[in-house]
Amino acid sequence: MEESDKVSTGPPLTPEQVFLEHGPRVYNLARRMLGNDADAEDVTQDVLLQVVRKLDTFRGESNLATWLHRVTVNAALAHRRKRAQRQEHEIHDPLESFSGNGFHTHAVKPWWVTPEKAAENHETSTLIEKAIAELPEIYRDVYVLADVEGLPNAEIGEMLDLSVPAVKSRLHRGRILMRNALAPHFEEVAS
Amino acid sequence: MTCREVLELLLEYVNGELPPDRREHVRHHLECCPPCVTYIETYQVTIRLTRQLPSAPLPPQLLNRLQKAAAELKGERQGGKE
Repeated sequence: MEESDKVSTGPPLTPEQVFLEHGPRVYNLARRMLGNDADAEDVTQDVLLQVVRKLDTFRGESNLATWLHRVTVNAALAHRRKRAQRQEHEIHDPLESFSGNGFHTHAVKPWWVTPEKAAENHETSTLIEKAIAELPEIYRDVYVLADVEGLPNAEIGEMLDLSVPAVKSRLHRGRILMRNALAPHFEEVAS
Repeated sequence: MTCREVLELLLEYVNGELPPDRREHVRHHLECCPPCVTYIETYQVTIRLTRQLPSAPLPPQLLNRLQKAAAELKGERQGGKE
């Protein structure tokens, strides 16, 4: 980040403000990218202490939020590389689960769950978090940044060094894998 | 158009990014393919469910570690100024 980007109007932030107001976002992004609470805590600590060391250069919070996204993604990717547990197994392309002539091979059942009903449901959130954690990393990063964090594809591409078509392709496959992972839990049971 | 071809276009279809002629092809397929209609509905529910995931608070032990580290950092800085 350029120095000119970091300085804006407003009183300097305190470490407590940084931890309480920005900590959860950093922690949740790291947790979902890494699929592991302990690793997410390490990354969150690294990122937030980086901010605290540079507090004099931050005034206000709008630029800090954008900067934190980028720094958290970089820190999570670096942590993952250090952990050296990259998935070696072959990744199945979810678009290939069709018959030879391109039609569905089995019934597609409607779901009983609705976003309105699920909003306050802890069990549903747990299922979704687990499905995210089980996504292959190449799809998980894009899925989390797009569908959890709500970032635009171009910004995600810059963070992950991917073209926009590559971001869209990974996001689409991530969504299909998520949909297919959740289906057995949410499909209506025929009466 | 096959179900697989529809699925390949789904991201752009739900985002309203398909050119009109392709969008029309998808619509035409959906008119006679209930499994694809259900698939699209559940794909969209997946997106909406994910978007409303709650944010977990910082674990207390992490907050303690951070506060301790920030205090140490402050002490180091003050020590450096003396």
